[in-house]
Amino acid sequence: MSKFFLVFWNEYKRHVLRRRFLIALFSVPLFLALIIGVGFLSVLLENDSRPIGFVRAPEIFPDPQFPPAPEKKSLFPDPEIRIFESEESARDALNANQIQAFFVLSPDYFSSGRATMYSLENPGDNVTEDFASFLSYNLLLSQPKDVQQRLYRGFDVTIRSADGMREVSNPFATILMPLITGLIFILVINISGGYLLQAVVEEKENRTMEIMVTSVSPGELMAGKTVGNLSVGITQLIIWILFIWIAYLVGRILIPDLGSVQLDLSYLPLMVAALLPAFILVGALMATLGATATEAREAQQLAGIFTLPIVLPYWFLTPIIVRPNGSLSVFLSLFPLTAPATLPIRAAFATIPAWQIAASLLILVLSAAGALWLSGRAFRLGMLRYGKKMTLKELFAGIRAAGGSRG
Amino acid sequence: MPTIVVDKIVKTFGSMRAVNDVSFEVSPGEIFGLLGPNGAGKTTTIRIILDIFKPDSGKVSVLGGEMTSEKKDRIGYLPEERGLYQDMPLQQCLVYLTNLKGVPPAESDRRVEAYLEKFDLAPHRKKKLKELSKGMQQKAQLIATLAHEPEILIIDEPFSALDPVNTQMVKDLLREERDRGTTIVMCTHQMNQVEELCDRLVLIHRGSSVLYGGLDEIRRKFADQAVLVRAASDLPAQIPGVTGRQNRNGSQLLTLDPQAKPQSVLAYLVNAGVVLEQFEIAMPTLDEIFIKTVTGQELLE
Repeated sequence: MSKFFLVFWNEYKRHVLRRRFLIALFSVPLFLALIIGVGFLSVLLENDSRPIGFVRAPEIFPDPQFPPAPEKKSLFPDPEIRIFESEESARDALNANQIQAFFVLSPDYFSSGRATMYSLENPGDNVTEDFASFLSYNLLLSQPKDVQQRLYRGFDVTIRSADGMREVSNPFATILMPLITGLIFILVINISGGYLLQAVVEEKENRTMEIMVTSVSPGELMAGKTVGNLSVGITQLIIWILFIWIAYLVGRILIPDLGSVQLDLSYLPLMVAALLPAFILVGALMATLGATATEAREAQQLAGIFTLPIVLPYWFLTPIIVRPNGSLSVFLSLFPLTAPATLPIRAAFATIPAWQIAASLLILVLSAAGALWLSGRAFRLGMLRYGKKMTLKELFAGIRAAGGSRG
Repeated sequence: MPTIVVDKIVKTFGSMRAVNDVSFEVSPGEIFGLLGPNGAGKTTTIRIILDIFKPDSGKVSVLGGEMTSEKKDRIGYLPEERGLYQDMPLQQCLVYLTNLKGVPPAESDRRVEAYLEKFDLAPHRKKKLKELSKGMQQKAQLIATLAHEPEILIIDEPFSALDPVNTQMVKDLLREERDRGTTIVMCTHQMNQVEELCDRLVLIHRGSSVLYGGLDEIRRKFADQAVLVRAASDLPAQIPGVTGRQNRNGSQLLTLDPQAKPQSVLAYLVNAGVVLEQFEIAMPTLDEIFIKTVTGQELLE
């Protein structure tokens, strides 16, 4: 069994099988499920499915018709409309709790549009809306069937970019999806980076570095640790994506409208391409920090220097969305630590020029390679400095002294 | 063929020369003492042998050539800075470190289990390292050094922070390993332990080698013109060839005239009817040699 694999497996196993990891892993989706569940429950409790009454008005609608039932069954179906011959019979039904409210149209409804609603208590949220829909349907009865259907059902908008390359049918999902996936990825990068930081500092805190480097090469040790901790993050990501997928499937059963939402995932390849070097970049910077710090707490405090810029694009969300090809957006796409979050947001709102994508990815890859080199140097210089911090000056002096010579 | 050859190694950190032209050889199956006061350059020398540091100049040969990762698996190293993964269960940590030395998992399990039994740690195998006492952790560290059955053992200050019982245990263990054919390099400043265990030694002072050779050979070289005598009765007031006397642990240390021979002193005492219980050439202790050499060096400088 290769030593790289032994280090990798040890790192992976000790995090993944830890109670703390399992709690972190399941608490986020469970917390989200709880929030959604509570919201769902409150809607369910508020939802009043008792019928709505309508006192017949032959002079306005001689033969009132009911709109066709929606094709998909909803969890919260619209309340049924019940027609009453007189206001008295409607009032009796209201007092008997058979209906939640009833409407009476004013005799001058066509000119004034007035209607009166009677109810014993505050009726459900959608009562007025449902009754308006019923009225619209009956007002349109005189129109040809296709005009009537079209006016009743409204229209679907598809947003297309000027070059015709991009198409969006649901603007809300278009904004939300890259933001949510970006946040999940950033969370995973930070978690993995944190684990890696801890793994390197731990060797110093436990004073195991000398034993380790006389058993495995520093390269095997760092590679095993990096891949091991990165895999912990990926495990977390896969499980969270699975949770989201399960939630989506369950949601489709409960909320049929979800099935018709078309997700625009065109930003995903760009996000993944930016993410891999970003992952290595952050990991290597964390490892450098771990090699120069003396204890985990101190290193974690400093880790903010690298983690803050990653979320910076979210603070500038409005300018990025308003001017996706503006100079701020371009700058944030080219700066390696802000690029992973900026690129997908821009991609969701505009077509990014190819040269900018290429430059951004190139800078990211070069920065990741540079950070890896720096972490290797810092590791070699700092690994045996138990209980002694390495200053930036010492680090760069060490790099200069070793520059070009052996490792 | 020597197991380890250190040939004129030099190592400088910034403006400080930590090791300066140090050379020595370690033969197979011996316990070799690498001695020196604190900060002399012992640990740096060990780290160069183990390929943790590269020397600025000079060469090191281990098991007949340059250090390789395969050779690292044949070495057991107990660093001065002891450390194991504090958050890991004892057995899991030891099996992991043994695996890293190239021992297959099943065999690592078997060997670690045997050592845990031997060192009375078996009941604690599932406990985290941080839950164990200092003494137990020292034993665990020894298991981590020995479980892959190394051909070379390099141990830095093996007796530091050990109580007398554990000190004796480590000594017995080192003798056991030597009898098994293991070459041992023991790095220490505790001279009494070296006298008891080492066959040969090198003394490093301020980065340079100041003494090198077999223990007896060195002691003889530093022996004064003196004899150690204990008698059942008082010694005669005047003994020909004796220029001074002092008490040492119930015996008399007689300083001899540079021309006097110990045999003529012995013959005089026997002829004088003195009942002798002890008569031996007075050999200096390693501590005395150490102090003499180190202070001599300082005076020279």
